[in-house]
Amino acid sequence: MSRSGYNVQKSAINALFFREIRTRFGKYRLGYLWAVLEPSAHLLVLLFFFGFIMHRTMPDISFPLFLINGIIPYFIFSNITQRSIGAIEANQGLFNYRPIKPIDTIIARAKLEAVIYVAVYILLMIVVGMTGENISVNNVLKLVSAWGLLILFSCGIGVIFMVTGHFLPEAQKLFPVVLKPLYFISGIMFPLHAIPKEYWPYLLWNPILHAVEVSREAVVAGYVSEGVSLEYLAIVTLATLFIGLAIYRTREEAMMTS
Amino acid sequence: MIKIENLTKSYRTPAGRHYVFKDLNLQLPSGKSVAIIGRNGAGKSTLLRMIGGIDQPDSGLITTDKTISWPVGLSGGFQGSLSGRENVKFVARLYAKKDQLKEKIAFVEEFAQLGKYFDMPIKNYSSGMKSRLGFGLSMAFKFDYYLVDEVTAVGDARFRAKCARLFKIRHAESSFLMVSHNLNSLKEFCDMAIYIGRDNEVLLFHDIEEAITQYSFEWKT
Repeated sequence: MSRSGYNVQKSAINALFFREIRTRFGKYRLGYLWAVLEPSAHLLVLLFFFGFIMHRTMPDISFPLFLINGIIPYFIFSNITQRSIGAIEANQGLFNYRPIKPIDTIIARAKLEAVIYVAVYILLMIVVGMTGENISVNNVLKLVSAWGLLILFSCGIGVIFMVTGHFLPEAQKLFPVVLKPLYFISGIMFPLHAIPKEYWPYLLWNPILHAVEVSREAVVAGYVSEGVSLEYLAIVTLATLFIGLAIYRTREEAMMTS
Repeated sequence: MIKIENLTKSYRTPAGRHYVFKDLNLQLPSGKSVAIIGRNGAGKSTLLRMIGGIDQPDSGLITTDKTISWPVGLSGGFQGSLSGRENVKFVARLYAKKDQLKEKIAFVEEFAQLGKYFDMPIKNYSSGMKSRLGFGLSMAFKFDYYLVDEVTAVGDARFRAKCARLFKIRHAESSFLMVSHNLNSLKEFCDMAIYIGRDNEVLLFHDIEEAITQYSFEWKT
């Protein structure tokens, strides 16, 4: 009857994953397909409108490719972190089941967002590829590393938000305010080289910008973004995860204490 | 056996720290069902939840090698927009092996007798239906200890009889840790009692009758 801790956590994450996907998409007729269709439709509309305007300002790169590789990583980050903010309070009822720990809710969510957006990404890349854009996935390893690190980074931030938000409810109001501007400074709508070099040091502390530009490098032929590096992303991710897990480890019991 | 060592639990109140338990030491022998008796707010449910591992003491240890259920009949963990079946599936994924999923769901479906409601969102359930689902769900899994916190009888006479029958079957194989204001049901299911008296002193009675006598005595005076 007794299971290893690893198995308990695995089944908890698995159960939460399916619960989440059911809750969000179970009521629709096409079911899980909506999980991919909804964000895809959202992005296609964005591509359509911005495509017209931006095509003129950035003739050297394919705009759809540019935007897909910017906005999807950002969505992954924002969806994982935003829902972590009130995660303890929102899932209070679930903690009556002993196998479920607060961190499992974040891991399950991250897994779901990753699965959804990777599928959306592949779907959109195929659609864009069929319209005749020149896609050259020249460095799959780089792409996978950038996204993997970004997902881990988001989990780290998510855990930090969850723990601090629980002990400092005021912070729950503050976090969304901090997250919003990231949409504009993460290079989603503009490439890094469109910004004068003297401002780079201010922009380049932001690891999301690195993830975005690195994944563009990996799929657009000839797109080089000097200044960004996978190493920086890796170091920041490691540091964030360490801080997140450290405060989680010390506060887990207190979070589950009434 | 469940062993409680030097357990302290307190809550912060505007008037300062309120200690529910201070340096509590108890040993509950295996195979015995235990009632927790005390007035309102004495900390009965808190103790039950700490034994179940879903609330934490300030300090001290609770150790056991037995499996302990979630509070029987709990419906706080249900997701309102999901159907009864999906909620059962969720809990089955947590506690059962993959090949047992179907069997657990079938058990709850059969027991709760919700008919077509079993496949409808829980938010449309009446409170009676919800507790039938919750009770059936708890009984679908085998634990060494079941935590029972004020399970009130639900449904019509026939359903209540069915609950009682199943309760007795489980009781024959497992132990209960029970909180209830219904002294008769405590007498029926429990062998011994943890008694939380005035000033939060905690006594362990090996005979449930003695604890109830003590409780009635203290209540009157």
